[in-house]
Amino acid sequence: MDANTENQKYLVFALCKGRLAFKTLELLESIGITCEEMKDKDTRKLVFVNEEHKLKFFLAKGPDVPTYVEAGAADIGVVGSDIILEENRRVYEVLDLGYGKCRMCVCGPKSAEELLKHRERIRVATKYPAIAKDYFFNQKNQTVDIIKLNGSVELGPIVGLSDVIVDIVETGGTLRENGLDVLEEICPLSARVIVNQVSMKMQNERIYDIIKKLQESLANE
Amino acid sequence: MISLLHTPDGVRDLYGEELNQKISISSLILNTISRYGYERIDTPAFEYFDVFSKDIGTIPSKDLYKFFDKEGNTLVLRPDFTPSVARCAAKYFSDSDLPLRFSYTGNTFINTNELQGKLKETTQIGFELINDSSIYADAEALSIVIESLLKVGITEFQVSIGESNYFKGLCEEANLDEETEMTLRDFITSKNYYAAREFLKKSNIDAAFLDRLEAISKVFLPEEEMINLAKDATNERSKNAIERLIAIKNLLAKKGYDRYISFDLTMLSKYHYYTGIIFTAYTYGIGNAIAKGGRYDNLIEKFGKQAPSVGCVFMIDEIQTAVRRQGIEIRDSKTEKTVIIYTAENYEKAVEEADARRNKGENAELVFAHEENLDAFSGKEKELGNLVIVLK
Repeated sequence: MDANTENQKYLVFALCKGRLAFKTLELLESIGITCEEMKDKDTRKLVFVNEEHKLKFFLAKGPDVPTYVEAGAADIGVVGSDIILEENRRVYEVLDLGYGKCRMCVCGPKSAEELLKHRERIRVATKYPAIAKDYFFNQKNQTVDIIKLNGSVELGPIVGLSDVIVDIVETGGTLRENGLDVLEEICPLSARVIVNQVSMKMQNERIYDIIKKLQESLANE
Repeated sequence: MISLLHTPDGVRDLYGEELNQKISISSLILNTISRYGYERIDTPAFEYFDVFSKDIGTIPSKDLYKFFDKEGNTLVLRPDFTPSVARCAAKYFSDSDLPLRFSYTGNTFINTNELQGKLKETTQIGFELINDSSIYADAEALSIVIESLLKVGITEFQVSIGESNYFKGLCEEANLDEETEMTLRDFITSKNYYAAREFLKKSNIDAAFLDRLEAISKVFLPEEEMINLAKDATNERSKNAIERLIAIKNLLAKKGYDRYISFDLTMLSKYHYYTGIIFTAYTYGIGNAIAKGGRYDNLIEKFGKQAPSVGCVFMIDEIQTAVRRQGIEIRDSKTEKTVIIYTAENYEKAVEEADARRNKGENAELVFAHEENLDAFSGKEKELGNLVIVLK
């Protein structure tokens, strides 16, 4: 029996590494889904099992979560909506968890505000090329050169690599410290539950039971 | 040169046991379809762009493989068989009102995204039942799907059935224009109801009907609930859609096939040519649908012939993955053969021996060897075949 036939019995969760995972585990715990193995900070295990409820959990890098869920390697994933928008995979997006709230914004020095008004060609640095392209091309009808960066995107306008950036803004602290402002808001973001399309059919009752309980737990908060 | 050995991303070589298994699966499905009286049809691997354009409603044109002929016409590698078969039916059977039954097999090409482990060339087997708008035709299509999967040996699967008129009825009732409807479809398809609500709110449209849609999108609807929904339906079109689904289920129940099906009224297809029932088959061990299809009453009309039709396609690569992951044994998937190794002196004896086996319907392979190289074959029985005879 290979890994996949075995998974038939387990419901597999892919969680986004980091703060989001802790928050999600807390929430799951509130509806009676626990994973003791995962609380051990020193563990080097990759997959955690809850034998009692037949659940498996693993942590993955954010952008990989939709990949696992789309392929059915995980049935359920929890990930920020920024990643869902950027990856654009065929998954069901079933629940807004409400936490991990932030905004996708166009940011830059105040002087760049003018550049966004006349559909002129500008350079945009971002970790989210798909979101940036969709926003400028389809919503603003502005032609832009998109420069993909992998981190510290704020550097772009500061060192002259780009005119503006498209990035997640939570408090705006980093921006202000570096003399940048939010120029336009693209969309609000938060953590979402995504589900594989086949799992939704084949494990319908179990999955909806969990979603329902999560919804109730969120409503009580 | 090492680089000569590689195939491009998304295409692959198939050989040996894996290919044998694929052929066996294919023939089990093709045989099931032909038992229902479907005749094979072959259409070209590439056609004019217009056959697969936006008006026809297949996949987005950016995902098509496009190239030019010498006159500058745009050609497209087929991403899907249904438009080709529809074109064929309109061309050669334009004056026929009798039901037409076609089946096909071949590879389709979709220029999917890189680095996602998705195949760009996939094998499809499918069938189309043309000139029949009845529920009996819908039931026949579903019967063939269920029977084919059972023949392959997949027993745990589910066919989810929807009716596109249900959603269309709701949109009509809410007076949505085409563009709004399209955007809404995208949200509903990904079950993203809060985004759908946001969107309608922005366009100042009353989103009340979304509540109902969301409520029924969550569970498999038992028949009683479907009947209640039909009673409560506020427009004729949606009501008829539900009633049709129930009628189809009752037809399938006569064969005992109703246990494989479930209703999903919120199911919509990315292929916009579907006008009636839509269905998708799923099983364990694979994250994608293994078969999908539906009714398309207006597609052939676009090629000049009014002909209500229903059709379905089996995704053979996905079915094979499911079969492997579920550990299903496919009958005849191993081809037995005898390998006869001979030298120049006993060539005639070897041919005689091989022909005798071939005449009995067995497979025999002749392998020539120099006398001094005969030893090289010892110990390689497993690699060579099931039975190895060395003539010395």
